[in-house]
Amino acid sequence: MKKLLFLCLAICANLNLFAQLDRSIRPTGGVAPIINIKESDVFTLSNGITVILSENHKIPRISINLVLGSNPILEGTKTGLSSIAGELLMSGTVNRTKDQLDQEIDFIGANINTSSQNVSLQCLTKHVVKGLDLMTDVLFHPTFPEDEFIRLKKRSESSIISSKSNPGSMASNAEARANFPSGHPYGEIETESTLKNITLNDVKDYYKNIFTPKGSYLVIIGDVTKEQAKLWADNYFGAWQGNDKITSIYEDAYFHKGNRVIFVSKPGAPQSVINVNFPLKIKSGDKNQLLLSTLNGILGGGGFGARMTQNLREKRAYTYGCYSRANVTEDGSYFSISGNFRTEVTDSAIAQILIELDRIQQTEVTDDELVSIKALMAGNFARSLERPMTVAQFALNIIKYNLPKDYYQTYLKRLDAITKEEILATAKGYLTATNSNIVVVGNPDILDKLKKFDSDGTIEKLDALGQEVKELNKTTISKETILEKYLMNITGTENIKKALKKLNKVKGLKRETELISTQIPAPILQTEYIDSKGKETMLLTMGANILQKSAYNGVTGYEEDQRGKTPLSSEALIAKKKVYGVFPEVNFFSNDLTFEVLGIESINGLDAYLVKYNDGIKNTYDYFDSKTFHKIRSVSSENGREQTFNYSNFKNVNGILFPQTISIEMDGMSLIGTVKTIDINPKIETSIFE
Amino acid sequence: MKKHIVAISALLSIGSLWSQQKQIDYLEYDLSNGLHVILHEEHTVPIVAVSIMYHVGSKNEKADRTGFAHFFEHLLFEGSTNIKRGEYAQIVEKNGGTLNANTSQDRTYYYQILPSNQVELGIWLESERLLHARVDKVGIETQRQVVKEEKRQSVDNQPYATFLANMSSRVFKKHPYGWVPIGSMEHLDAAQEEDYVNFYRTFYVPSNAVLSIAGDINVVETKKMIEKYFGSIPKGQAINMYRDIENLSDDAFKNKYGVEKLKFSLNNFLKPVDSNAKKVLQKQLATLTTIPKPTVIEEPIKGQIVDTIYDNIQLPGIFMGYRFPEQNHKDYPVVEVLNSILSEGTSSRMIKSIVEKKQLAVEAFSFAMNSEDPGLGIVATIAGENTDLKTLQSAMDEEITRIQKELVSKEELQKVINQYENTIVSANSGVAGIAENLANNYMYRKNTSLINKQLSSYLTITPEDIQRVAKKYLTQDSRVILIYLPKSSN
Repeated sequence: MKKLLFLCLAICANLNLFAQLDRSIRPTGGVAPIINIKESDVFTLSNGITVILSENHKIPRISINLVLGSNPILEGTKTGLSSIAGELLMSGTVNRTKDQLDQEIDFIGANINTSSQNVSLQCLTKHVVKGLDLMTDVLFHPTFPEDEFIRLKKRSESSIISSKSNPGSMASNAEARANFPSGHPYGEIETESTLKNITLNDVKDYYKNIFTPKGSYLVIIGDVTKEQAKLWADNYFGAWQGNDKITSIYEDAYFHKGNRVIFVSKPGAPQSVINVNFPLKIKSGDKNQLLLSTLNGILGGGGFGARMTQNLREKRAYTYGCYSRANVTEDGSYFSISGNFRTEVTDSAIAQILIELDRIQQTEVTDDELVSIKALMAGNFARSLERPMTVAQFALNIIKYNLPKDYYQTYLKRLDAITKEEILATAKGYLTATNSNIVVVGNPDILDKLKKFDSDGTIEKLDALGQEVKELNKTTISKETILEKYLMNITGTENIKKALKKLNKVKGLKRETELISTQIPAPILQTEYIDSKGKETMLLTMGANILQKSAYNGVTGYEEDQRGKTPLSSEALIAKKKVYGVFPEVNFFSNDLTFEVLGIESINGLDAYLVKYNDGIKNTYDYFDSKTFHKIRSVSSENGREQTFNYSNFKNVNGILFPQTISIEMDGMSLIGTVKTIDINPKIETSIFE
Repeated sequence: MKKHIVAISALLSIGSLWSQQKQIDYLEYDLSNGLHVILHEEHTVPIVAVSIMYHVGSKNEKADRTGFAHFFEHLLFEGSTNIKRGEYAQIVEKNGGTLNANTSQDRTYYYQILPSNQVELGIWLESERLLHARVDKVGIETQRQVVKEEKRQSVDNQPYATFLANMSSRVFKKHPYGWVPIGSMEHLDAAQEEDYVNFYRTFYVPSNAVLSIAGDINVVETKKMIEKYFGSIPKGQAINMYRDIENLSDDAFKNKYGVEKLKFSLNNFLKPVDSNAKKVLQKQLATLTTIPKPTVIEEPIKGQIVDTIYDNIQLPGIFMGYRFPEQNHKDYPVVEVLNSILSEGTSSRMIKSIVEKKQLAVEAFSFAMNSEDPGLGIVATIAGENTDLKTLQSAMDEEITRIQKELVSKEELQKVINQYENTIVSANSGVAGIAENLANNYMYRKNTSLINKQLSSYLTITPEDIQRVAKKYLTQDSRVILIYLPKSSN
């Protein structure tokens, strides 16, 4: 009977062949397939490792990934440390030199990768024992050889240099700085100078603190049985011991008021990278995350049908692709819409992006859009299950973000239930077309066209590494005039002769300044003694404790802190002869110091003349207000380290103006100084300078 | 003693090899119109990949109309007689699928990945694209702009990205490999609608395509669907007559074929009642389409050509180009192994010596173009900061000379074969990869079953083969060297 039916079907099929075919009828799908998500096995080891196992025997391959539990750390003046540390792990072990290690890994055709947050192995099943042996050797016994450290630093430097011509990384650096301007690892960008500050000891410390079993995850995926996986987890990772994981809590990203344009110059670029972005108040595991993904899909994240693609690519052909993304993590989240656009349409493209951002907050999406995105996301979900990695990732997310156990089992049901009203509310709650950062990387010729998008009309300029670009306007004023006006200003005199006469009467100075910072527990008192011949002593004290002292008696000097006393180098002694006295500028004309006017720079809205001088060991940049000639800022840089002093609140002391408030920025720390006392011509024992 | 152990372990790993590579089962056949069909059924996940590989790439283009093959990859998303403009991709996405396409020198590949209940939709969509895609002014204009943006984004505004075009034009003086798939924007601008239509009529015909479907399908049912939508596509020049019915006016059609359009029904095109129409159709069905293919034989590169290119880059680069064999050549697996020895993995020679030990470069790589006609091999480095380029070039030459002079060790060879095994196994991890792999083996190697023997061509390679091939192809007296330098010093 069965056979007969089959035969009949075959005949029908053949008949069908000769029947007419109306091609305009689009086939409708049969019953939607049932999507099964395989359960992962989860178990813990006694040393704090959570093991996630996702069995899949389709191909004879296994991947094992150890993911560390700590979240990113702040690296400050040593930005780049964690990535160097992660990479240096592969540079040799107690048992194998780097060459041996590379050879053995390649010999079994395996991939072993290390980063600041994980160590992973991927290889064919038949090589897994050898692979595990190599992986754990790398993880537990790295030697961090000095020569490799130097090589990696050199290579990182080269890659920093390369990245300066890559429009994509230029844009993402600016985006990072815009959303996370301070105190957040996402806003830290590796530069040549931060790289220079990283030492091998920093790397070893990083490894010791971050590479610990506590709070880590061992994700095993592929062609392995549960029994075998358990055995490996115990045998290879069970005896590992370490300290607690480091959990840092970071503040939200920075929410800017009003649209602002941030421009990164790439002269001659045929295209502009546009990246419109703003922070999101949401973290991984939030109940609104699926809504936000759906909204993002309709706006610009979901395929050809998305509004950004339809408008900017298909309708206007401004771009090859424009996509939006909701970057949601545990530590900080932001939304971005970006694409590459031909230079001439940069402003039109920004206008359209903002229009789309606004439109989706004003009116509900169409039924068609919602149905389409649900289908697309359901499809993505089903296809993602083909990768064994996905299933393991689900299990990892459930644990990490405290999601309900059936979070992914109910995914399609929850997706299906989303309404247009919810999408609109989500758009209103998270998106903005009026408080966004509009990052443009492109040809500077287009700058004027971008002004209209900035709420205050002032375009911020960053360099390729996200650092502020100091805009200098040319000036014709001479360096002598600037210094003379400055000296006349502080003495309140009308010519330089009178000014010098007044200043020459100042033979010495004692000043006490109280320094406070949120980063130090109690105020620090700074006491300075300076005489006009160049002797000087500076003390930093906290209560009765001397934290730091530096002294120079006109011939020799030293610096002293808790670590000990260091005599001044011969270069430093020469420098002391070049820049000295209570008012060093008085002597600039007579000694052999070279100084120059670089131009006019805007400081907090004030035009300031920028004067640079070099004393042989450091460059100093002094900023003089172009109207009052107050010295409002002084920046000095020595070996890649920078110190900034901002002066304000000028007061008359014995006929001379002195700033009463001094804010200081150095080594990622900021301090506010308030002058407590200033004594002109005090009695200073010569022993003070010893 | 040590050597023996290595030899034994090498043997063991070869022995266990066959048990490791899982067999990919498939079924293949030709439709009467010449379309080749390959089906692979597996039920791991309820999805299916529907793909078509057209045997047309940039090498089939005319020298004054470059970029056409890639342009069609864009144009064929515009829709068809039964699919409105811009709707093609949306239909796929609305049904939970994803789609994309890509173009090489030799072929254009379109694929969709759909939930398995939508396999018929996927087949219909691809059949529409083949039979009567929208090739018109509006679509051409939009896609011209989009392609220009693609070129600016992925070539003009990317450091070093012009190297392939610069290299190809110097290595190939006659063969169309002298230009790259993105082609010339001037050519695309200069082309008329008619040029585009002719390109479509020439290359987009069933006998020039492979339909490869892999995933959660029922082979019997799927074959029926294929017969329904693809089997009804006319063979030979009849497909273009069908297209003419849709596009020509009554008079123009009659002038061309000597029979009235009315005598044909699009819904039942292959069965006209009118006897004259039958005759004309028979003639068109019998007129087979010939696919223009390059026949020129490129001569060896004359001497060593050295050129400097100034680009928006920060670090200089050295790109060496050599003439390499085609992928079907017996030497091809050997040049692949040769490349791996030079630059695959951290223990490879160029990485070890030039990047790590001498620290002259930040990157070193080499590859073969994987082409149907004799092609191109690249050996390249990106210099470290302050590297002297002469020293860097000699270091590259030293590695090339070494592999020509000294036999590689058995271990080094075995290492590379182990690396290949991993790559081959991984390539068949998903249905999309399997569909493409099957089509590739059929189109280029004329033998689909090679998908299950991918490793075997590497297993017979000897150290002597590598030495011979290194001498034969990595010729220092016949090559192109491009020195990439930063445009300006700041």
